[in-house]
Order: sequence, then C-alpha cells, then structure tokens
Amino acid sequence: MSSEQDHLKETDTEARFGFKKEQNSAFETEKGLTEETIRLISDDKDEPDWMRDRRLRALRQFHEMPMPTDWPGQPDLTEVDIDEIVPYIRPDIDTRGGVDDWEELPEEIQDTFDKLGIPEAEKNALSGVGAQYESEIVYQNMQEQWEEKGVIFCDMDKAVQEHPDLVEEYFMTKCVPPSDNKFAALHGAVWSGGSFVYVPENVTVEMPVQAYFRMNSEGMGQFEHTLIVAEENSEVHYIEGCSAPQYSQFNLHSGCVEVFVKDGAHVQYSTVQNWSKNTYNLNTKRAIAEKDATMEWVSGSMGSKATMLYPCTILKGPGATDNHITIAFAGEGQNIDTGAKVYHNAPNTKSTIESKSISKDGGRTNYRGLVHIADGAEDSSTSVECDALMFDNESTSDTMPYMEIEESKVDVAHEATVGKIGDEDVFYLQSRGLDDDDAKQMIVAGFIEPITEELPIEYAVELNRLIELEMEGSLG
Amino acid sequence: MSTQVHATLTEQHVRAISEELGEPDWLLETRLDALEALETLPFPDVIQTPGRTWTDLSKLDFEALVDPSTTGDHKEREAPDEVDVLSFAQAVEDHEDLLREQFGSVVDPQTNYLTALQTALFTTGTVVYVPEGVDAESITIRTTMDSQSLFNYTLVVVEQSSSVTILERQETGSDADGDSRYYSGIVELVAGENSYVQYGSLQDLSEDTYNYQLKRASTDTYANADWIDCNIGSRLTKTSVETTLAGEASESKIVGAFYGHNDQHFDVDSRVWHENEHTTADLVTRGVIDDDARSVYEGVQDVGSEAWNTNSYQRENTLMLSDESEADASPKLIINNHDTEASHSATVGQVDANDLFYMTSRGVSEHLAKNMLVSGFFVPVLDEIEVEELREDVNGRVQDRLQARS
Repeated sequence: MSSEQDHLKETDTEARFGFKKEQNSAFETEKGLTEETIRLISDDKDEPDWMRDRRLRALRQFHEMPMPTDWPGQPDLTEVDIDEIVPYIRPDIDTRGGVDDWEELPEEIQDTFDKLGIPEAEKNALSGVGAQYESEIVYQNMQEQWEEKGVIFCDMDKAVQEHPDLVEEYFMTKCVPPSDNKFAALHGAVWSGGSFVYVPENVTVEMPVQAYFRMNSEGMGQFEHTLIVAEENSEVHYIEGCSAPQYSQFNLHSGCVEVFVKDGAHVQYSTVQNWSKNTYNLNTKRAIAEKDATMEWVSGSMGSKATMLYPCTILKGPGATDNHITIAFAGEGQNIDTGAKVYHNAPNTKSTIESKSISKDGGRTNYRGLVHIADGAEDSSTSVECDALMFDNESTSDTMPYMEIEESKVDVAHEATVGKIGDEDVFYLQSRGLDDDDAKQMIVAGFIEPITEELPIEYAVELNRLIELEMEGSLG
Repeated sequence: MSTQVHATLTEQHVRAISEELGEPDWLLETRLDALEALETLPFPDVIQTPGRTWTDLSKLDFEALVDPSTTGDHKEREAPDEVDVLSFAQAVEDHEDLLREQFGSVVDPQTNYLTALQTALFTTGTVVYVPEGVDAESITIRTTMDSQSLFNYTLVVVEQSSSVTILERQETGSDADGDSRYYSGIVELVAGENSYVQYGSLQDLSEDTYNYQLKRASTDTYANADWIDCNIGSRLTKTSVETTLAGEASESKIVGAFYGHNDQHFDVDSRVWHENEHTTADLVTRGVIDDDARSVYEGVQDVGSEAWNTNSYQRENTLMLSDESEADASPKLIINNHDTEASHSATVGQVDANDLFYMTSRGVSEHLAKNMLVSGFFVPVLDEIEVEELREDVNGRVQDRLQARS
C-alpha cells in the first residue's frame, strides 16, 4: 500500500510528511523554480522560519515528483511548462504587478463584466486592479461582525503573522501534505493569499462568509490557500466569490483548500469558478470530517482551458456525512476534468455525489470519481449520480467513476446518464412560442437547478447568467 | 517481469510448436514477431486507484508458470454437420485461406505482453466456420487442461445471414502437474452481415490456475454478437470481453457472472466500441464474492464520433457475502457523439436485510435464506443464457459453491 493511501486512511501525515527526511536533489541546477526564488517570496512576506522551511521542503518534493501524464483521458498538460511559468513570479514580486488599466484586459473579459452588470469599482477589483484594497474591505466587515464570538476571517498571509499557532498546526500538515501531488507541492512552495477561517466551538456563523479572489495581488494570486477550521458543533458556509473570469498573465492556477470539520460541525464550501480560457486550473481541495460532522461541497466549474479538480472528503469519524454537488460547463477548446473523492474510514458514514456536466462547441467534460469504503466502515452508504448533457457532435463527455469497497455491510450505488438535449423538449417549448436559443437555455437552467438552489441567490443568478453568456457563444 | 519468461523462451520453442502443427510460413512469422515484441509490450491495462494497483500482473512469475515444453490438453468438440468445427492443426490444412484472412484481424497478436506470449506459444485451438445462410444448432467445445501451462486460441467466423450458438467450457484435468498453472485463451469472433452469434463460456479451472483471457467480436452490418462470460474457477482471472460494433445497426450484449470465494481474484472487463450508426449495446454483469475474494470490474462504453443514434446501457451489481472480501467497480462512459442515449449503473452491497428478515420470519433458516437470495441474485443473468446446458451448468456450479459455504 502506498504512502498516499496510508495518508488518506489515517489522515495523520505528520510522521510521513518528511520533516526529517532531507533529500538533496539537483534542484539547484533547475532553471525554473529555485530555492532562491522561494526565499525571496518568504522574505518579502516577512514569514516566520517554519513557514519558509515548509516552502523549501515543498519545493524539493515538487522537483522530485512526476507530472500526471497517464490517466485515461486526462487533459493535455504538455503546454504547462513550469520552467516557463514560475520565473514570472520574481519580476512580479518586484513590481507588485497586475493590470494597471481596465483597458488592458482581454476584450472577452471586459464583455463578461459588462454583461454581468458589475459596477466599475467591482470590475476593477475582480480583474485585479486594486484588488488588494477591495478584498481587505470585505474581510474587515466580516471581522467586525464576528470577532466578538471569536471567529477569525482574514487573508491567509495575515493569518501567518497574526495566528501562527493555528496556521502552523493545520497548514498542509494533516489534510493536504505537499507530497500529495505535484501541484500540491508546487502550491506549498509558492502559495500566496487566500483565506483563513476559524470558527470556535458552538458558534454558528449565520450568514455566508464570502471572499473574492485577489488576482495578482503580490503577483501570485493564482496560488491562493484557503484554510477552514470549524471547531466542535460550529457551523459556517464559506463562499469563494470568483464568479467572474480572472485575467492572469500566467496560465496556471494551482490553489489549495483545506477544511477541518470537527465533531458535530457543519461546513459548506461553495464556489463558482470562471477562469479565463488560457488558464490551467489544477487544484487540490480536501476536507477531513470528524464524528457526526457534515461537509458540503457546491461547485460550478465554468472557465479555464483545462481543469483538473476532484474535491475530496475523508469521513474520519463515525456518523460523518459528505455531500458533493458539482456542475461543469465546457465550451470550445475547454477540457473540464472534475469529479469527487470520498473516503469512508469510519462506520455509519454517508456520502452523496451529484455531478452534472454540459458540453458544447467541442468542449470536453469528464467526471472522474473515487468512492473508497474502508474495512470497518460498516453501515456506510454512498450514492453517486452523474448526468451529462451534450449539445453537438464536436463535444465529448466521459464518466470514469471508481468504487473501492473493502467492507461488506454497505450500500453503494452509482448511476450515470448521457444524452443529447431533447429534441422533443425543444420542440415543445418552441411550439409555445420560444425561439430555439431560449428553449435550450431554459432546458439547461432546469438541468442545473439542483446546483443553483444550493447557492445564495446572487451567486445562483450569476451562475445562470454566466451559462447564458456561454450559450450565446458571444464570448468565443 | 517480462524479461524473465523471455530469457527461458527461445525461438527454437516457437519453431518446434509451429512445425508440430504443420503451419505455413506466414503463421510462423507471426509467432516469431510476437516473440520478439515481448521485450517491448506492456501488460494489459488494469484499474489503478490512489495507492493501489488492483491486479498487478507484472508481479506474476511467468518464468515459473509457463513451461512451453509440457503443454497438453484434452478437447471435446460437438457440432452439427453443416458447420466446420476443427482443431487448429486441421484448420491449417482445410481452411488456410480463411485463417490467413482472419487470424489476428479482431485481436492484434501484439495487443499486450500476454496476447503476444499467447500468439508465440499457442499449441491448441479451435476454428469454427459457419458458411453463409446456415442456421446452425449449438456447438460445444470442452477444453480440459492437462499441463502446467496451456495456450488456447479460438477463431469463429460466421458468414452472412447465418446463426449459431457456441458453448465453451474450460476445466483442469487430473493429469495437470505443478503447484500453480497458467491458462491463456484468445477468442476472435467475426460476425458477418446480418448474422447472429451467441458465445457462452464457463471458466471452471482449478483454483491454483492463473487465467488470462481476451475475447473480442467485430460486427458487420445488422449483425448481432452476444457474449456470456461466467467465471467460477481459477486463482486469479484477468478477462476482457469486448465487441467492436463496426457495422451499421449492429448489436451486442455482454452478460457476465462470477462467484468468487476463498482467496480468488477476479478482474473482469466488458468493453464495447460503438463505431457506426444505430448501434446498440447492453452490458450486464452480476457477481458474488465471499471469504477473502476480490473482484474488480471495469466496463467501458465508447461512443465514437460517427456513431449517430447510439443506445448503450450498462449495469453491474456486486454482492458481498463476507467482510473480508473486497470489490472495485468502474463503469466508464466515453462519449464523442451527442446523438446518444447512454447510461450505466453499478451497485455494491450485501444481501438485503429486509429480504432476509422476511424469509427468516417465515421459518427459513438464515443460512438457507441467504443461499436462496444469492441464487435469486443470479437469475437475471441466467435468464440471458439461451443454451439450457450452459444455464444449468452455471447454476449447478453456483449451487455447489453455496452448499460448500459453512
């Protein structure tokens, strides 16, 4: 059994994290990402030694690990040349670059902002112009509201400075070690920005905690780290507000999300992502759910050239529950490879996965899933449902679920369907006076309803509007 | 590793086998090419999930398992007069042109390491030839393995507007020697225009046998190629049953059943490629695993970009009878044409507690009730078997195994 599986079973990676294992590889001679660059980032952020050491360790692991290349049907990553991408970091640290002018943004992104009806100030924020300030405001409002209950909600870089004990305990140690995969290691080395959420015992944060991604802030917004710790019997709903295309001069986004759901706690993590279409979106998102805890993932993956993202929950305590609801939309030239992973490692655990995908104009969607029920996870149940809707013959859609069952007292079910958009449905709507486009749009809106009804209204509206824009094909 | 067998396996072995069967030069060349390719070919694809390769064939010690100098088997073939069911050596004499045209046309001998090994070393086999317009009755082929390793090659050619059912059975004879054995079988099935073929097989090899099989059909227009694949025996089985729906409006049904106990390992694949318009596929597999047994199922429905108006369905159900057993299921859909209705489903679970409670409350002992429910679980796949003899054989072996449960 490999170390990864051990990790996912035990979730205790501290021992194998490799703190003591110093391996001197030949990274000095690598022309791309170097130790010097990492020290520079760490110094620039005025980080404590332990964080700099973690970055350097992750860097070594990054150099040792191979690129994922041989998964059946995985997106083509040959264009992702780390040596070409990473050196951009350094000049950006110096310049604190970003887009200085709205007019510098690609036309399709400007269009999208206009059509979404986003005000100028927010456009600037979303596109990275002055993003640092705008997002600070968002954070500060939250702090005032909840700080008397002990809730912490701040920028991840700030958390390293102000809450080092918590961050040192949880940051890429127990949940996503850098050794998890090549892009987790890359993330561990160059991460910057993101959110830190801490909810004390018995506290319920009634309104969703929201954060917009700060693009290009300090030059590396696309390696943001989100860490959520929900103590016993607490409850929080975190929303990543990046429901607008992100402009980036780099073409790699490699974020990481770690969620700790303690006994009886309830965390919902919702995101609507619409990266610009030159972006490779290679993320690692994972939650550990303790006894009677509930984890919910709600996500919409819209943009990007290629996405590889499989949010994972480890159901570690008895009675823990996990729900995944995802939607993927792939248009021309896009390959959205997404799914869900669940590890049932304790008795009486439950999971449901509902995955929907739409492909159009040559887009490619994959559902890639894994449900693992460990020996001893008796009376666990899981149900996986995937539906794919295809618009035309240039598009493709694959579903590749894996189910590993080591326990007999379980109930496992997987179902998937694929179909073209129903001619009869379109005809029916047309016969009631709708034109072809509107009819199809209405069918799609109905198809994705299970997702939209899980989101707060403004996000649901944006998701619908984004899909409408994609359907119009007005963005190319 | 692959080089081990190759080290003890020489060109002389291959030439001797070919000479024994009186083979023409082209077939000898095919064998020698396969032998040479062993150095570079990979093992068959297997399911890999994080941290685990479910069936690691590269770990098998082929050098110890395969002894090309001692192959022996016993075969029974029963067939109606209007079709030719011949030993491979006889087919070389009677139907060389047919062999030359069809050998390797459906399964490339160099598909992987194990098919190449099989091509280089096969000593026994059967050629079934059903001429145009013949409605043949059932054909039975029984292979008894009497040696440590055996490579068995079957070619079925069914011409236009013919129909046939074929029943194959593999067993281990009392003469077989060695502590562990290796059985390898390839079946190529060519279904001509408007033909109907059902190929059923029951693998009941001794439980110290490592078993690799690849069965693949290619269909012409309006042809119907159905497979029944039942696995009871062997220590480890890696089997794949496949249909390429090459002709317009052709159809295939792949029905699988397996029952693993003790320390058996079954890795069962069903694959279908929709390459043409109006093609239909239906994949149904049901398996039971008990004791420390493991089952791995991979089903692939691949709809090509030219496969307009496709219907493709897949269902897989695994019943786990013990807590030590392990199952893995992966039903895959690969869709490149939007004019498709496709679905797949898979379930894994134990005997339904409500059913069990109902039966025990009616006075049936729990042991008997469980056995009855397991028998009932196989009924939907047994119903698909047209040949009564095969249906009874399979059911008989399931009952034997249930009786043996403690």
